Amino acid sequence: MDPRIEAYARLLVDCIRAEPGWQVLVRSQPLARPLVEAISRELGRRGARSLVRLRFDPIGSAFVREAPLELLGTLSDIELHEIENADSYMAILAPENNREGTDVAAERLGLRQQALRDPHEPFLRDEKPWVGCYYPTEAVAQDAGMALSAFEDFLFGAVLVDWEALRREMERIAERFDRAANVRIVGDGTDLTFSLDGRQGKVDAMEANMPGGEVFYCPVEDSAEGVITYSEYPACYLGHEVSGVRLRFEGGRIVDASATSDEEFLLGTLDTDDGARRLGEFGIGCNPGITRHMKNTLFDEKMEGTVHLAVGTGFPQIGGQNKSAIHWDMVKELRHGGRIELDGEVVQESGTWRL
Amino acid sequence: MAFVDPRVGEYAQLIVERCLGVQPGWQVLIRSQPAARSALDEIMRLIARRGAYPLLRMSFSLWPIDEAWASEAPAELVGELAPIDLYASDHMDARITMEAPDNTRGAAPLSAERRALARKGIAPFFRRTMTHEIPWVSCQFPTNAYAQEAGMTLAEYEDFFYRAVLRDWDEDAKAMNRYLERFDAAKEVRIVGAETDLTISLRGRRGAVDSGHTNMPGGEFFFAPVEDSAEGTILFDVPTDMEGAPVEGIRLTFRAGRVVEASAEHGNDVLLAALDMDEGSRALGELGIGCNTGITQPMRNILFDEKMAGTVHLALGRSYTHIGGKNVSALHWDLIKDLRAGGRLELDGDLVQENGTWLI
Repeated sequence: MDPRIEAYARLLVDCIRAEPGWQVLVRSQPLARPLVEAISRELGRRGARSLVRLRFDPIGSAFVREAPLELLGTLSDIELHEIENADSYMAILAPENNREGTDVAAERLGLRQQALRDPHEPFLRDEKPWVGCYYPTEAVAQDAGMALSAFEDFLFGAVLVDWEALRREMERIAERFDRAANVRIVGDGTDLTFSLDGRQGKVDAMEANMPGGEVFYCPVEDSAEGVITYSEYPACYLGHEVSGVRLRFEGGRIVDASATSDEEFLLGTLDTDDGARRLGEFGIGCNPGITRHMKNTLFDEKMEGTVHLAVGTGFPQIGGQNKSAIHWDMVKELRHGGRIELDGEVVQESGTWRL
Repeated sequence: MAFVDPRVGEYAQLIVERCLGVQPGWQVLIRSQPAARSALDEIMRLIARRGAYPLLRMSFSLWPIDEAWASEAPAELVGELAPIDLYASDHMDARITMEAPDNTRGAAPLSAERRALARKGIAPFFRRTMTHEIPWVSCQFPTNAYAQEAGMTLAEYEDFFYRAVLRDWDEDAKAMNRYLERFDAAKEVRIVGAETDLTISLRGRRGAVDSGHTNMPGGEFFFAPVEDSAEGTILFDVPTDMEGAPVEGIRLTFRAGRVVEASAEHGNDVLLAALDMDEGSRALGELGIGCNTGITQPMRNILFDEKMAGTVHLALGRSYTHIGGKNVSALHWDLIKDLRAGGRLELDGDLVQENGTWLI
């Protein structure tokens, strides 16, 4: 077996800081077998339980497609008990086809996500640890425009890094943003301001995402003003790729939205609920191992020289108050003439820090 | 999606409707493995359409066992079901076990001690199905591993598989109920064949028919023998296995219901270890009579082989309490005797089956 898989398994178990006696849900897909079995062994060595739950299609299962609508919005007693009593969970995506689930009606997906949201609240609030990551499969490599072996090198390069050194670098960035009140993002088709007043940032190094490598905030919910255009990369969510997304904010709310492709999905998603038209997150990509966009949010949002803004639910543990069934991160490239200003001072220009 | 064999849809329907009779609101646990995908997708669809919850427990070994984890975890955890899994076991309304191995010899090299612990650990999961408190079905999905074990191509094996499961089960039930009536009226069964002359008492015990309910394929009627009654010897000539280890040519001698002599031509150590598993593993937990005429040759697959018309099987270990069984054990191992080439069954001295053909 590739020794990087054993190292990856140890890293993931480190991310959740598994303790003896814990019940850890290991949610994954069949192709991840080598990693899932390595995780089970590692959890076993640390005296924790590994509860493996494989799915073919984590988004659009047969239940999501076929269940009567009134049932779809509910969780069974056994499922609820499992989520409430798990001490931690891992979500390891290993798709055979990255478009699985894209044919399911948004209404059905929304009902299922709403049913799952409340019991997952302790994870969202960081009261219980979790980690989301990928296992390298042909489908993920294909979307990244790579052969599998090249993608494996990329993925392991992005996750098996010196997390302590990267943490120190990100803490330096967070310290500057923590002191600021107003953020301005300027770039192609973009001039957007929002407030971080009273909000503290969070550094992602061996936390809930692997790869990590971002500093993120919950913007003050009614503060966003202006326009942002995601002209460089498609906005990817639930298997959809929406190109040329342009959002105009007034009083923190999206008052105008358009896209050059799949606009219907964009508008439908923004209409999911009240919170879907407000910002839940502002993130700054800091992972130097990720140098190009690969239509995969988990990686793309960590790309050094980019920022991302998420519409939808915020993170209550860092002061976020917005609630929604969605959380859609959209990545904005700043390396080609973009800049970030804090209270009028330029702190990053064309992707280079001026701290 | 690729072409799906229409027999998969019929099979899924049979499981959801006949075997379980899924009702709205039920929580149906589905233990399986990735290779069963086409059947699992169909089963989950049918359950969801009935307004019930399909709860998939898919893993690489068969949940709630996790062999990779059990190879490294502390012994005290391996010997006890996870509280989350125990809750699911205690609250499920029905369960499906659909095995679909990629390799029938793919079990992890767990020590005998660890395997015994893991078996003890998952015992609470089987409690409500052994007592028939809830509907359940044990079945398989035709994979290349099963086909290879049976010496067939996958296409040949699929034909065999669906012939054994897609049957007129109500018609089979009528025939089996007729035989069962005769057995229920008898006190003593005698099995005679090559190197075999064994008597067992069924006094006070009534049998049950599986006409496509708890096993798929079904096609047997079975009893919990009186625990201290078995006397004589028997040669089990159908090759079998024990948790992935092949065992062949098993000879057992019984005195007062217990195995007093045992040998196997192949896998003798495995046989002896199974017999010494616990107090109940040397006594009989089941006498079953195979009646599925769709199964005509052994496939090295107990679920199918034990239903083969013209065979009988005896299980060492745990018996079914709903038919009066009292034997308690972590073991339940069905051993199969072929009577078609020179064997007979007698009830209280009357010949009822000869060379696999019924005379009643």
